[in-house]
Amino acid sequence: MRYLLFFLRKHYIYFLFLVLEIISLLLLFNNNNYQSSAFISLSNGFAGTVMKASNNISEYFSLRRVNRILAEDNAKLHSTRSEAFYKTDTNSFYRHDTLFMLEYKYISARVISNSTNKRNNFLMLNKGHKQGIEDHMGVIMGERIVGQVVSVSDHFCWVMSLLNKDSRISGKFKKNNQLVNIEWNGGSYKIGDVKEIPKHVVIRKGDTLITSGNSDIFPEGLLIGTIDNFTIAQEENFNYATVRFSTDFNSLSFVEILIDMMRKEKEDLKNSFKTSDR
Amino acid sequence: MTIIYLKNLGRFVFLVLFQALILNNIQLGGYINPYFYIYFILLLPFETPHWLLLLSAFLLGITLDAFTHTFGLNAAACVMIAFARPFVINAISTGTEFMTGHSPSLRNQGIKWFAYYSIILVLIHHFTLFYLEIFRLTEFFQTLVRVLLSSAFTLLLVFIAEYLSFPREK
Repeated sequence: MRYLLFFLRKHYIYFLFLVLEIISLLLLFNNNNYQSSAFISLSNGFAGTVMKASNNISEYFSLRRVNRILAEDNAKLHSTRSEAFYKTDTNSFYRHDTLFMLEYKYISARVISNSTNKRNNFLMLNKGHKQGIEDHMGVIMGERIVGQVVSVSDHFCWVMSLLNKDSRISGKFKKNNQLVNIEWNGGSYKIGDVKEIPKHVVIRKGDTLITSGNSDIFPEGLLIGTIDNFTIAQEENFNYATVRFSTDFNSLSFVEILIDMMRKEKEDLKNSFKTSDR
Repeated sequence: MTIIYLKNLGRFVFLVLFQALILNNIQLGGYINPYFYIYFILLLPFETPHWLLLLSAFLLGITLDAFTHTFGLNAAACVMIAFARPFVINAISTGTEFMTGHSPSLRNQGIKWFAYYSIILVLIHHFTLFYLEIFRLTEFFQTLVRVLLSSAFTLLLVFIAEYLSFPREK
């Protein structure tokens, strides 16, 4: 015992080093346990306040571009009003409103911090539990996808951007509904990868990719990007393409969080299937 | 003695804010992320006890992690260089006595010594950081390029900071 203590005292530096490294690595790789979630809410509060202060200043610099995007959105909305349509037929059909139930609600949020230069990028938004935000909600800008919420504190939420090694978007070709997965493998924030495109799908430059609606996060039909380049593999069974994102990740300042009004129902349905399966 | 503590504390706060609010937003070709905040560890005085070195590096890393939401990533890399620092200093020092209360600096130790010192530590830090962030071997060479380019950029900032602080330390 004495020798053990002596040994520990002599080499305590090595033990301290190991202990600190192990704490760091545990924090890094166990992102789900209680300690780290307590840590996350602490840091969301503290770092969030500092980031918000700095963002209050930098926001002014992007006002011109935000204005332009808002004007575009306005124009688009105006063009869908009934006054914008020319009546070609005197017949009109009456649709009772109860046919349509609200499935998605949109909450506008301000981007407090954002990055595009890391391998794993995240955004922080100024909406949280208090505004009804929960994990796994989709984040979009206009009709373009941005990412999904991964952690929430009272007033802020943390969003995993599409530019992340853990992010996989289920998409499809707009022209023929063929399903593909879109990933990002680092490098430029404008270009993503589409792997495993079945051989029979004819790819052309400029083909549009939209979300498939297969995941619970995004509804169908949101813009992902256009095919930038592609290679026809000779020996493998799948082709490969790069996609140019339609979202400009480096200039996000206002985004929308999608709240799925029927999410609970969908989850319950899935769970009930799982339990009855056993 | 208190002056030294206050100076280092001030440097800690300044470097964390500088890194979190300015450098983390720098976008250079998608490959270069300077991590200048480790300048704090480089500049701790020579006679700082090894345990204090480790603890302050851990604190520095975890504070920065709070901003970037990568818990333990920066902390692991910082603890790594804090552990390596005394060994690096022993390995490259030429036997001259270091004055108490002094920090490693370009002016006192000479450019060759300081270059070795900072290059080794910055490389260790960036290697640990980038490979932990990726944690796969498929992007090995791509990550290596990022490590080398980012280290070069960090070192550039370190040397600029050293030259700027020349006249003050007389």
